[in-house]
Amino acid sequence: MAAVIDASIDEAKLAEPAGSKRGRPRWLTAYLYILPALVIMLAVTYWPILFQVYMSFTDYGLRNLRFDAPGANFVGIENYINLITNQVAQIANFNFWGMLAFNLFWTFSNVIFHITIGILIAVLLNAKGLWFRGVYRAIFILPIVIPTLVVATVWKNMFDTDFGAINQALAGIGGIFGISPDNFHIRWIDQVDPPISWLPLPLSYFALLITNIWLGWPFMTIIATGALQSISKEYYEAASIDGASGRQQFFNITLPLLRPAMIPAAMYGMIVTFNLFNLIYMVSGGGPLRQTEILVTTAFRLVNENRLYGLAAAFGIYTMIILLVLTLLTNRITKATESYV
Amino acid sequence: MKLKAIALLTIAMFVATACGGGTSGTTGGGAAAGSIKGNITLWHAYGTGSSEETALNGVIDTIKKANPDAKITVLQIPFDQVFNKFQTEAAAGGGPDLFTAPNDELGNEVRANLLLPLDDKLKGKLDKVAPLGVDGLKVNGKLYGVPMLFKAVALYYNKDKVPTPPKTTDELMTMVKAGKTIVQNQNGYHLFGWPQAFGGKLLDDSGKCIADQGGWADAMQYQLDLKKAGGKFETDGGRADTSFRQGQVDMIINGPWVLGDYKKDLGAKLGVAPMPTGPKGKAGPLTGVDGWYINNSAKNVDGAIALALAITDAVGQKAYADVAGDVPVRTDVTISDPLVKSFADASATGFARPQSAEFANYWGPFGDAVTKIIEGKSTPAAGIADACKAMNTANKK
Repeated sequence: MAAVIDASIDEAKLAEPAGSKRGRPRWLTAYLYILPALVIMLAVTYWPILFQVYMSFTDYGLRNLRFDAPGANFVGIENYINLITNQVAQIANFNFWGMLAFNLFWTFSNVIFHITIGILIAVLLNAKGLWFRGVYRAIFILPIVIPTLVVATVWKNMFDTDFGAINQALAGIGGIFGISPDNFHIRWIDQVDPPISWLPLPLSYFALLITNIWLGWPFMTIIATGALQSISKEYYEAASIDGASGRQQFFNITLPLLRPAMIPAAMYGMIVTFNLFNLIYMVSGGGPLRQTEILVTTAFRLVNENRLYGLAAAFGIYTMIILLVLTLLTNRITKATESYV
Repeated sequence: MKLKAIALLTIAMFVATACGGGTSGTTGGGAAAGSIKGNITLWHAYGTGSSEETALNGVIDTIKKANPDAKITVLQIPFDQVFNKFQTEAAAGGGPDLFTAPNDELGNEVRANLLLPLDDKLKGKLDKVAPLGVDGLKVNGKLYGVPMLFKAVALYYNKDKVPTPPKTTDELMTMVKAGKTIVQNQNGYHLFGWPQAFGGKLLDDSGKCIADQGGWADAMQYQLDLKKAGGKFETDGGRADTSFRQGQVDMIINGPWVLGDYKKDLGAKLGVAPMPTGPKGKAGPLTGVDGWYINNSAKNVDGAIALALAITDAVGQKAYADVAGDVPVRTDVTISDPLVKSFADASATGFARPQSAEFANYWGPFGDAVTKIIEGKSTPAAGIADACKAMNTANKK
């Protein structure tokens, strides 16, 4: 009986004029279905973006924030020019290009360490006959599950000049070699002078780097472990029969076969590290003298501390363009969307 | 027998607490019973567990008991977020009915039309408030808050190590050279008081920075000399506090908001004195006024004003002075604690915090100048000149 009804419905559909139901085009039905989602997207995504673009061409400030406030003054591309020519007097030492260069250097230097350490530890954990493999893997996952704010606070305390664990540990090691503990009051976060005279990076950069290495390698280890386990043992057996050493097997089998998994992970790590607000804000605060400030922490200061909404909007547009370029490059290298094109 | 003694002691403590007048739970605003009505949301930014929070909670508890028709909701906001959060929410028509904070952002908030002018509502109700307290909450001649406390930094000292505090900058230098230690917060706020002692002035009448015309560079040179003699500078306020509270340093310059906490650690050893006088006169720490501000979008304006007046009445301010060591703005509140009295003296000689748009651009350039100078990356004269130039550029002066 049901089959008969279904068949009659299908016949009715076929009998309708092409592309319409009771005269309504089929495309209209489709649009009606996506309309609720579209309305929400317009309200919470596209409208704020459009409003930000509008703000970036104005001197929007606190006085314009109230819902019944007068509109901001149109300033054309002044905000955009002021940013790239470093004409932001409210923030001392503002240097857009220097900050961008640091942001990129920060990103690449971190990800290189994450990947190298991540792969090495994954290979070690994959070794045959390793005891307590599961325990190690569980411990190594801890940095991922602990909230970044907690990690940042703990590490900041560890870098304390007088009471921090890092300086105390160094003093302990130094004591073995007869070096006075007074030499280990290292100002990890505050020291303005670079520790390496020819390298214009403050000590707080290295403190941040150490912290973020601790934070970032376990993710890469997880990815690499998964990829390692999918490599067929037959490759290694064949290589052994042909006389390949362990080193040759690593560089000619393991690394090339890890590549498809590690490149997307590296790109993801790059984007995350590029925007790593919590860690920098909590550990160094962008200091000393704004030398470890990155784009997202600066955007936060423009809004939260200086209330320069118009300027911050233009800054956000620049950041979006930079991230867009990075993402397009990522997409090109990883061919992540290739199968959908 | 032992249990009985403990039970009796406990009962005695309860009775003493109930009858006494100096603890948090029993002091409080003496609002006329039943004068506060409706739902009122209040924000504060006192630290969790701090003596100021304890004082406020005690005052609010008393007010709640006397005003059963009022439903008062208290929300704590972290201090570094309170202004931004209020401004964002109030602008959108939300936020609390009232909130308390120093007058740091008062000018900006008034210019953004976020606060309710209170001249008419408070007419005749602030007679007992010191004029400096009322003036501190005025912008362009209009009143925008109910004054509560004065806030200015002074010199804390450990009496065991510094029996007599330094009265002049020369005395302080001599002490430090002789081995006494002082720690200072390395920022534009805590060091603001020194330039006035060396004849420095930040702004002229038109709002133009004139710090580069003398005094400021001398004050910063003095800081460098102090550092060379053994004075410490900290960018982390918590670390500076800890070193003083643990007795590792003998003196620190800080505000009354930490008095209650310092007392817990140092007790009778704690002393407070105004910042030392310099060659050109008294030091001029930035004197702020903590007030209660009424949101322009408040849903219960009358309730919020009545609550603010209740918190800031003589009983409420006395509670703040006794529990938290804060300096009341009312002239009819007797300060019994000599340490709080010292802060009152420091506030009286301080530099009233300007509410101008120009002053808002002090913090970035001068905060940076302080770091550069103290860290030896810039000379005092060059650092101050650069900061002044940046401030004038930002202010289009």
